[in-house]
Amino acid sequence: MKFLVGDNPFHGISHLSQERSRARGDTIKSIDHDAQLVLTSLANGADGFMFSVSETTLSILEVLRKDYKAKDLPLYAIVPYAYEYVRLATQSGGILGLATHVARNIAFSGNIEAMATGAKGLIRMDVQSLLKTYLIYEISRIRSSIGKQGSLCSLMLHELITEITLSLDLDWLVRSFVDFMLKRGISPGFETRNFPLLVSKLRKWKIDLKQITIATPFNRVGFQMNPSKIDCEKTLAEIPESNVIAMSILAAGYLRIPEAVEYVRALPNLKGVVVGVSKESHAHETFRLLREKYGE
Amino acid sequence: MVENIKKVRTAVIGLGKMGLLHACILNVLPNVEVVAICDKSFMLRKFFQRVFRRVQFADDVADLAGLDLDAVYITTPIPSHFAVARSVFANGVAGNVFVEKTLASSYDEATKMIGLARHSKGTNMVGYMKRFGVTFAKAKEILSQEMLGELRSFDAYAYSSDFAVSDRRSKISGSRGGVLGDLGSHVIDLAFWFFGDLELTGGTLSSLTGSASEDEASFTVRGLNDIEGRFNISWCKAEYRMPEFGLIVQGTKGVLKVNDDEVHLESGQEKSKVLFRHDLGDNVDFLLGDPEYCREDECFVKSILRGERIEPDFLTASKVDYLIDEVKKKTAI
Repeated sequence: MKFLVGDNPFHGISHLSQERSRARGDTIKSIDHDAQLVLTSLANGADGFMFSVSETTLSILEVLRKDYKAKDLPLYAIVPYAYEYVRLATQSGGILGLATHVARNIAFSGNIEAMATGAKGLIRMDVQSLLKTYLIYEISRIRSSIGKQGSLCSLMLHELITEITLSLDLDWLVRSFVDFMLKRGISPGFETRNFPLLVSKLRKWKIDLKQITIATPFNRVGFQMNPSKIDCEKTLAEIPESNVIAMSILAAGYLRIPEAVEYVRALPNLKGVVVGVSKESHAHETFRLLREKYGE
Repeated sequence: MVENIKKVRTAVIGLGKMGLLHACILNVLPNVEVVAICDKSFMLRKFFQRVFRRVQFADDVADLAGLDLDAVYITTPIPSHFAVARSVFANGVAGNVFVEKTLASSYDEATKMIGLARHSKGTNMVGYMKRFGVTFAKAKEILSQEMLGELRSFDAYAYSSDFAVSDRRSKISGSRGGVLGDLGSHVIDLAFWFFGDLELTGGTLSSLTGSASEDEASFTVRGLNDIEGRFNISWCKAEYRMPEFGLIVQGTKGVLKVNDDEVHLESGQEKSKVLFRHDLGDNVDFLLGDPEYCREDECFVKSILRGERIEPDFLTASKVDYLIDEVKKKTAI
């Protein structure tokens, strides 16, 4: 069982109350403070760090590179950082403006492999090549931030991308993503809020569940478990071979940690749990309790 | 009564964020088939042809005629809604039309669109998705039950940081319909839904860049039984990471606060009560973006199949355009 510390509080995210998130965003501004929370979580039983790839989390990785005493910190990265990209699309006048912005960033990154794959993708308007270009770019950003102190265990597609691939039946794109990541020795991952649909599509597309990582909400109140809590639990029970990491176990702060842990502890086939922490005391309590309840 | 349509054949016009979102949700709904997409951009068409593989692409609305469509979604920028809708109706593209909010860029255009839709006799709807949010629906229920007694006043707000830092603010502001159309229209629609007709009594519309961009609005209204309302709208609030919409309603028997996340009721002698999304059954068959979008699309499709009206339709939504026009006319930047 893996226990991961998540990054939502570092971005001021609260799905329970935006008012609360705003208040917290006002108080958490220090990258060093956030990195310290990750280190405290690791010292108290967390096994790794799950994060959306953004300027904030890359800066945290740079601090961890200096301050994390062990090597090969397990990292679970989610791309793209949707909030930033949606905002960029708004500010730059739409999808084309966003694409131009991302292309410019990749071009100026100096990553030769990404630029070569990207040029090919642009000329042929080849979606797979463009996705690979983007993945190369993000992997390179993560690795250059963490150096040898970290090990990228999984690169996961953000829920927005996952859900779009599901709705449009993009089996060819998912296969291309899975093959590309496996060749690089990184577990391809999917973040989703439509867990039963994802599992059903992956099975239909004959993608081996053992090889991939899935992060999806599991909590006592069924928050963001679509189409229903029962369907999500039933799906999980049917796939012992999968690598499912439960997220939103606190239902965005609606539940307290003991009752949240009580619920996930009773679920079969989970391989991990990710929880965000915003205070040192949370970091101590959360991961100690997880270790205790799982008897590890 | 359900018509003899096995699947609602649908086209999406305008492949921006909202067009992509609706196309994806519709593609998952069991009784819908997305058969065509229309966008002016050659690059977007070329890219998305690789993604939407069994869908016909067009660069002109007129090219959609003859595809035997049941419905279209108009998700182009607000200033083009009227021209696109006129072309849809003139070319007989489809009888059932969904338009992303706001309905039009002026009340005059909105009334013309109502006339066109009336002539086509189909179902029409405007994308005021907040009505499909569980917290706002609960607030509507509380108000309908008159739990606040006689309504005295309300404060409505819509804030975001979309253009808190942007050197392209004035250019984008226009194409997005300004802050009133883009952001404020959601809470204006909610206020009409909650309180009925409203009349402008004063206000200001400001540009924070010194140009003609509309970035902040503050205005007051009066409604039925002399309820007084205040609106504060801005997309330049740096502290708002995500857009926030809400209303605080004062009645003779209590106070109701509602936003996207929670409903807070303080009524009479009773202890105050807070309900979060979690308490209100927020799951949907397919979640992309917010659950509201899925519910909204499901309702539109069901209404087409049943041949029923759905709210908010063009007529209802035109009230928002009317009030926005009034604010623009009576307040100077």
